[in-house]
Amino acid sequence: MPEARVTLRNPTGLHARPAKIFAKAAATFPADVAVEKDGRRVNAKSTLSLLTLDCHQGDEILISVEGDDADETLAELVALVEAGIGEHEGGGAAT
Amino acid sequence: MSTRLSGRAAAPGADVAPAFVLAPQPVLTKLPEVASGAPEEEATRLLGALQRAEAELRELAERVAESAGEEEGEIFEAHAEFAADPELARLTEEAVRAGTSAERAVVGAFETFRELLVASASEYLAARAADLDDVRDRVVKILLGMSTGGDRPEQRSVVVAHELTPSETASIPVELIAAIVTETGSPTSHAAILARALGVPAVVACDGVLAATRVSVDIAVDGRAGEVTVDPSPDERAAIVRRHEQEERRRQDLGALRDEPGRTADGHPVELAANIGSIDHIPAAVEAGGQGSGLVRTEFLFIGRVTAPTVEEQTKVYAEILRGFPGHRVVFRTMDVGADKPLPFVERDPEENPALGLRGIRLSLRRPDLFRDQLRALVRARGDVDGEDAGRLAIMFPLVATAGELEAARRVLRSVAEEEGVGLEGVEVGVMIEVPSGALGAARLARSADFFSIGTNDLIQYLFAVDRLNGAVADIGDVLEPDVLELIRSVVEAGHANDAWVGVCGEAAGDPTVAGALVGLGVDELSMTKVAIPEVKDALRRLTRDECREAVQAAIAGAADAVGSRALLEERLGTSLG
Repeated sequence: MPEARVTLRNPTGLHARPAKIFAKAAATFPADVAVEKDGRRVNAKSTLSLLTLDCHQGDEILISVEGDDADETLAELVALVEAGIGEHEGGGAAT
Repeated sequence: MSTRLSGRAAAPGADVAPAFVLAPQPVLTKLPEVASGAPEEEATRLLGALQRAEAELRELAERVAESAGEEEGEIFEAHAEFAADPELARLTEEAVRAGTSAERAVVGAFETFRELLVASASEYLAARAADLDDVRDRVVKILLGMSTGGDRPEQRSVVVAHELTPSETASIPVELIAAIVTETGSPTSHAAILARALGVPAVVACDGVLAATRVSVDIAVDGRAGEVTVDPSPDERAAIVRRHEQEERRRQDLGALRDEPGRTADGHPVELAANIGSIDHIPAAVEAGGQGSGLVRTEFLFIGRVTAPTVEEQTKVYAEILRGFPGHRVVFRTMDVGADKPLPFVERDPEENPALGLRGIRLSLRRPDLFRDQLRALVRARGDVDGEDAGRLAIMFPLVATAGELEAARRVLRSVAEEEGVGLEGVEVGVMIEVPSGALGAARLARSADFFSIGTNDLIQYLFAVDRLNGAVADIGDVLEPDVLELIRSVVEAGHANDAWVGVCGEAAGDPTVAGALVGLGVDELSMTKVAIPEVKDALRRLTRDECREAVQAAIAGAADAVGSRALLEERLGTSLG
């Protein structure tokens, strides 16, 4: 099962709009996607579940994917996190 | 055809506007435990309700984005997202397939997420818990076949409800409230207090108003006469417009009293001060004729922050508040935050019952770092305005239950003043009387207090064992209950016997009838919501101290309950709004 550790760079972490964007992105793939932080693992397609992880800027998360096109899915989601999930690093929302 | 109804006058003013009926909230404790149909049917019902909630919320988001802006719309967009959440759907469906009713399953699943959100220290997530509650209520209402429409009015409206709880009114933007009419309630219930604070008319205990009101029909409200007209005729409409103009003129007349001190007709001074919850409140409080502030709720500096405000920051704000009331006393109540308003910088265990938990002076004594910072800032603010035409600093400790707590708090204050190298001469130190043990032990507390300020809201909540945020019991307990009046009298006597002045800073002080009764009991100061000051000032200036004394005596001796007591007082004091 492919997985990757990534550090959240965007200011609001996995809260508010970024949580929603990430969950929506994960939901576009057929594979199961999970996000883990501090030993708690949740369904990445659920905004609510992502919120309960309380991930802030600078936190490290583990993304794991299981199912069809797992590698591709993982690569896309890692790229999304590295691009700041719709927010500029250290700044406001991307427009 | 118009329908005329009468209720009890609760806040002066007159206005006519479309009705907005506040839908009752589902009672979550009375939901069916077990599904009525087969699990399969129940699951279909459940998923249908979640989908409908999502669709309603997306539509609401669009409408709100258009009328109030993108940002407001996004709130409901996020709500829609919650209703559509796959994990939430999975959890509820699992429960339903195990035989639970759809309603229970929804409440249970939302509770699971709520607990996870509240458990984190994040203020942002704690606020999302309230969003979850809103979505949950909507889904439950859909399941129960209750109306979900009209969560907030789209235009300035007369809010019609069975009874209003603070959490219900919080959902309505105040600028959209033209008047309030409730089917039950009393002139001291939340609806009345809110209406007076907003300066809009209110009629309570208006039997039949819900039955007579149809969606978006106009309602004319005369809050002084206690009259409500549903679907007024052109003549009735013209009459209420005239009454509105009269009320506006009266407001202007009362404005002429602005710079006059509060006193009775025979010249006995009664300080009329304003309760302040933000620096922004000061100009309006001064404009309303407030003689200083009898309650500065300093929590506003702490709530909604990730880190505690620094001493410098607090000092600046406190000094500004002192400068806002030249020549008057300004009573700062030290931080009063309970577990119901979690602060990220105060780590604490969740409490079953925050009202009885670690709050007020208890929290301050447990967290001397925060407490000392606040006291230091207050003492420094006093130094900063020294020599200026500013207000006089007074410090009040909330939720004091024992004389030991007051001693401990005073010790901290003395130690801070020593560190700052300043004396405390002229700084009054007092106690908020809001816990029954504090009220009963007033004589003991008075030995080391310069003043008492009775917080009627909390005192009543604790005396009557009534959660004041719980609408089901909101009608129990009232400041005009003869026993409460007697208790207040004993607190006043204990204070005066020890040269401590006694004030009242609960919302009730802004009710002219209650104000008259309190003056009759010997209360020296009334601190209230700023809009209430002109009416109270006017009412007291028409009454002698003896009239107040005799009226309250008659109420204590002759009334069986608060209703009887109010009737007796209104008759003798002539303070009835009608």
